[in-house]
Amino acid sequence: MSYYDIDAILTDAEKIPCTFELDVPDLGYLDNNPTAPLKSGTQLQLPLWLAEMLALQSAGDEGKSFVSIELPPPLSDEVVQALKADPRAVALRDQSAHFYNLATRMLDLFEEKELVEVLRKTFAVRAAEIALHARKGAAGSEEKASNLGVGGAGEEFLRGLDEWERKLFRKAHDGAKAGKEWMDGVKKH
Amino acid sequence: MYGDLGNKLVQHAKRTQNLAHLPPYQTELVRAVTREVRDLDKDVRSMLEPFQGSFDPNADPAVSCTLLVDHMAMRRNKRCLLAYHRTRTDKLEELVWNGTDIPDLAGQQRAPGAPNGDNGSSHLSPQEEDYMRQYSDLLAAYKGQWTDIDLTGSLEPPRDLFIDVRVLKDAGEIQTEYGAINLTKNSQFYVRQGDVERLIAQGYLQKLS
Repeated sequence: MSYYDIDAILTDAEKIPCTFELDVPDLGYLDNNPTAPLKSGTQLQLPLWLAEMLALQSAGDEGKSFVSIELPPPLSDEVVQALKADPRAVALRDQSAHFYNLATRMLDLFEEKELVEVLRKTFAVRAAEIALHARKGAAGSEEKASNLGVGGAGEEFLRGLDEWERKLFRKAHDGAKAGKEWMDGVKKH
Repeated sequence: MYGDLGNKLVQHAKRTQNLAHLPPYQTELVRAVTREVRDLDKDVRSMLEPFQGSFDPNADPAVSCTLLVDHMAMRRNKRCLLAYHRTRTDKLEELVWNGTDIPDLAGQQRAPGAPNGDNGSSHLSPQEEDYMRQYSDLLAAYKGQWTDIDLTGSLEPPRDLFIDVRVLKDAGEIQTEYGAINLTKNSQFYVRQGDVERLIAQGYLQKLS
């Protein structure tokens, strides 16, 4: 992950649920209320780039952090349960356009062995599905006709890919296409 | 909230990555983000003023929290600004390697989006134009070390040495091994591919197969 990576920067803008652990007079604007002080216990949605540092930094002598954070909605129990049931049936993009990136960043902060396992399995199952669709797409028009039966469901699945999966799909698709073109070229000359 | 404008800038950069051409430079947005950084810096300064350089974060967690938020917002904005410009300079370098000049760019971009009336500006900021010019010079100097090989030439081996081309735009007279040819619009020639490769890339000629 590079400093200049656009996707990493956009991932950092994802909102994380936070709870403030102390009163701060000047930060009312974070809660859309610039004139009032920010009270301890206020619940807020803060972007990851801010939430992470506030959660890691400790304040005062007790060593308490400024805010406590929770897992964001895309990684909630509901989604995880759905992923456990069938990874292919979840539109990850509707959860977050940078689903895996977000998950990786959050797992730096949380110790969640089970979540890691679910995500690993999710990616493996979905990657196979993506490869399948990519090959179909690249195979050419004559074979497309025979796929009409699954076309609708396939489109639905492809629309739900997160940014990383989309890249994977494009690579697999371009690779298959380039391979086919090369084979055709060999035959011709 | 602080950082929202920077986010917009990065979304522009994201779109730029997937485009073939370079969209207009977001002068206003860049200015607004830098202004935000300056404001934040002023805030931090005035907040630290009463402490006379002996601020103890543990004694005043509320102030140190505010300072941290301001600092993170500045860092975030810096990253957004840098990433935006880096995306654009990457694109510019790519264009230079493909043999595009700044005048080419201005001409190209006027044609498709004709009625937006930006009278042929190249969508670059003055600094970007400067960057592109200097990068072109660097590339030319680099290429100059090998006179018998064209580093920006096509990687595809030619099928034939000679090709048919049609002239799309008047390009004047060019010199070839076999004498001079006058390239006037709509005429057709049978020429050596190596002689006209650059003119094809620039869109003056069209290759007929």
